[in-house]
Amino acid sequence: MKKFLLATLVPVLFFSCNEPEKNPAGNDTPSKSQSPVKVLPPVTHYTVPDRSPMDMVYFPNDYPLLKMAGKTSAPPLMRIIYSRPQKQGRQIFGGLVKYDVSWRLGANEATEIEFFSTATVLGKTVKPGRYILYCIPQETKWTLVLNSNLYSWGLEQNRKRDLIQFEVPVEKTNLAIEYFTIACEKRSDKSTELVFLWDDVKSKLPVSF
Amino acid sequence: MRKTSVLICLLISFLFGFSQSSKLPEVDKSPMDVSYYPNNFPILKIQNKATEPLIARVFYSRPQKQGRKIFGELVEYGKVWRLGANEATEIEFYKDVKIGGKKVLKGRYTLYAIVNEDVWTMILNKDTDTWGAFKYDSKKDMLRTDVPVQKTDEVVESMSMMFEKSATGISLIIAWEQVKVTLPITL
Repeated sequence: MKKFLLATLVPVLFFSCNEPEKNPAGNDTPSKSQSPVKVLPPVTHYTVPDRSPMDMVYFPNDYPLLKMAGKTSAPPLMRIIYSRPQKQGRQIFGGLVKYDVSWRLGANEATEIEFFSTATVLGKTVKPGRYILYCIPQETKWTLVLNSNLYSWGLEQNRKRDLIQFEVPVEKTNLAIEYFTIACEKRSDKSTELVFLWDDVKSKLPVSF
Repeated sequence: MRKTSVLICLLISFLFGFSQSSKLPEVDKSPMDVSYYPNNFPILKIQNKATEPLIARVFYSRPQKQGRKIFGELVEYGKVWRLGANEATEIEFYKDVKIGGKKVLKGRYTLYAIVNEDVWTMILNKDTDTWGAFKYDSKKDMLRTDVPVQKTDEVVESMSMMFEKSATGISLIIAWEQVKVTLPITL
C-alpha cells in the first residue's frame, strides 16, 4: 500500500539524521578496526509503517474488545477504516485541506465506512453495506458524502458514484487536535454520533440503527 | 520516534482530559496497515492502471521488533498468535479461492498462526471483528494449513505482510525479525 520509494527513502533519512550526532562526540577519526567507509543501513524489501497510520473504529465502541471479553454476542453495527494525518504545526482547514474541495477525511486510501445493519443518518436511510465516506469542508459546515467507488485511493473521488449527502455544522474546539480522529460518541445502544476532529474543528454525524 | 509518539499520545490524552468528557482514541503503538492483491490496488484504480480485479486484502497491526527476540520468546512457539497486534488480523477475499486444497468462499475471515521454529500452522477462522487471539475458537476454523519457515537476510523491524503473484495464483508473504512464511492462495 505504500510506495516503495518510501522504503528506500527512510534509511537515507535515518542516515542523514544520525550523521550530525556522530561528530559532536569527537570521534571523527576512525580507529583501525573501523572502516572509514560509511555504510548505509540496508534498504528494506518490506514496507515501512505509514506516516499517517491506519486505524479502525467500531460502533459499538471497541467492539472487538467487547467481543473478546464476552460482553456482546450481537454482530457489530458499523465500522470505519481511515488513516490519521497529523497537524504538525500546519493550519488544516482552509489551509492544507481546502474549502469547497473534496477531501478524503483522512489520508492514503479513501475512508471506508461499513454499515452491518440498516442505518438512519439525519433522517435518510442507509442500506447495509460498505461505502466510501468523504467530505467537502467549508468554514461553517461540512458536506459528508457516501460514495460507492470502493477500494480507491483518497486523492480523487468519482462524483458519478455519489449516493447520499449529509450536511453537518462545524464546531470549534478549544484546543488544537494533533491527529485527525474519528470516534463514536455513544448516545444509546443503537445510536451514536460519528465525530470527526482535527485541528480546532469538530463535526458530528448522528447515526442510528 | 517512540518518545515522540508517546509524547503526542500523552499530549492528546492531556488535552482531551480537559476538553472532552469521553476519551478519544490515541494513536496505536502498533499501527494498522493494509495490503492488497493486486499490490497498491487503490492507487492503480484511481490511475486507471489496474489490470486485474481486486482479489484480496489483509488488515493487520504492525508490532515492532525494538531489539527484542520475537519468535520463540515474545511470540511463543506452539501457541495461537494473532499475527500482528491489537485486533485480530482480517483477510478478505473478493472471489472464491483455495487454500491448502480447501475451497474458501469470498468474504471476511480472521487469520491466525501457530508459530514454530520450522513450520507455521496458518488458521483461517470465521469469527471476525475480534481482538487478538484471546477468544480463539477452533470450532470456527475454516481450515488449517502448514507452511515452512524461511529465513530472511535482513532483520525486518516492523511486521510486514504483502501479496505476490505465484504460478498458481497469489501468495501472502508474512515477515518479521528474520522469519518469513509464504501462504499459497490458489485462484
